[in-house]
Amino acid sequence: MKALRAWIEDRLGLGPVAAFLAKKEVPCHKHTVLYYTGSSILLFLGIQIVTGVLLALYYQPTLAEANASVVRIMTEMPLGWLVRSVHSWSATFMIALVFVHLLGIAFTKAYRKPREATWLTGVLLLGSSLAFGFTGYLLPWDELSLAATKVGTNMPKALPVIGTWLTRVMRAGDDVTGDTLTRFFIVHVSVLPLALLAILGVHVFLVQRHGMSVPLEAERDKIKLPWLPFWPNFLLREAGVWLVLLGVLLTVAVFLAPGIGPQADLMAPAPEGIKPEWYFLFMFQTLKLFPARILGLNGEMIAVMIMMAGMAAVLLLPFIDNRPLERKGKVITGLAWAGLAYAVGMSIWGLM
Amino acid sequence: MGADVSRRRALAATGLLLLGSLLASGLLEARVQDPAQTSLKPAADAPPGQDKPAAARPAKERMAVSVILAWVWLSIAVLLVFLRMRVREADRVHRMGLQRAGEGPPRGPRH
Repeated sequence: MKALRAWIEDRLGLGPVAAFLAKKEVPCHKHTVLYYTGSSILLFLGIQIVTGVLLALYYQPTLAEANASVVRIMTEMPLGWLVRSVHSWSATFMIALVFVHLLGIAFTKAYRKPREATWLTGVLLLGSSLAFGFTGYLLPWDELSLAATKVGTNMPKALPVIGTWLTRVMRAGDDVTGDTLTRFFIVHVSVLPLALLAILGVHVFLVQRHGMSVPLEAERDKIKLPWLPFWPNFLLREAGVWLVLLGVLLTVAVFLAPGIGPQADLMAPAPEGIKPEWYFLFMFQTLKLFPARILGLNGEMIAVMIMMAGMAAVLLLPFIDNRPLERKGKVITGLAWAGLAYAVGMSIWGLM
Repeated sequence: MGADVSRRRALAATGLLLLGSLLASGLLEARVQDPAQTSLKPAADAPPGQDKPAAARPAKERMAVSVILAWVWLSIAVLLVFLRMRVREADRVHRMGLQRAGEGPPRGPRH
């Protein structure tokens, strides 16, 4: 064992990494639970990669075969239905945890100096995760996924100047067709994973570079918080959380396996009750509520512009909220709560 | 002494879980009739607009998955017991280190 360790050390030189992990400290305070969300996201990402590769072995991204190949995966491949179900549910769990992670950081204002770049990469990771969800939704190529993708890819059209071009790029043409399916598949299995892994690398590096943030009050009052060594104390606790999450994921995947609708028909009218995935519901509902014209302007364009402004504000939050302890910081916290309440309310309305 | 008692309790709980799951899986297996070969493919004539069920699979496979799931949860429970023991030990070593370094009173980490 010692010889093997020495052999690996000679080749990879992991000594400094091990020394860094041995010295790494995790502060203990009322928000410590948020630290577990980051590693749990990584766990679900790993599951996504493994199940995604398994599904890609049998999935065929063509107009004629996409739906049939998913049906084959679910009905003929040994445990194919379970692999697909785990893939689908772990995506949901991962995105939910990314939201919790980001909201936790936003409300504890952990994005403050010097962690602005960590926040920026985190928001980009959220964007990549949502893009994964959006592109993956079309792949079963059933009626619902086709209709939802038509609505989703139609949204950028409302943007001035680049709108139409952006929609054409997303659809690989004027409408959602087999070419869109191929494009979404390529983006889903190669472009997005590469982008996500690159951004994730920078994000993890920055987290290690700046260490884990502590509550604002502790930093202001220079309180020395109790701490735990990352190795093995914190990592063992994380392992416990991962085990429970794995069990929950498997249980949900077994008992609530997703089905698949009838093959999409490009000529058929949109079916009743089109709904995107839960994380896009608030945008979908907002678009439905906006009137066609507001003060003579295109209502959809105004809605999309407002949403884009909201996203830009989230991305640039550390620069907008640069004095978190002052009145400005409190006003921004209030606005963030209002935004969250709006998104949750609209999502629930969209579900009903 | 206290550690002994808690270890014994953990072992007893593990044993009970093991026995329970064995009993449950045995009962479940016994209930499985040799499958009347449920069609592997979902009904092709399902009404349009309706989802094909994801669970259109043989009863034997369904049962096997349920039994495996029970075993997974059992393994998780056992692993959690071991992890808890390791965490306590690691925390004890950490507290001793703090005490020795004079970093303050030996307080148990809360998380």
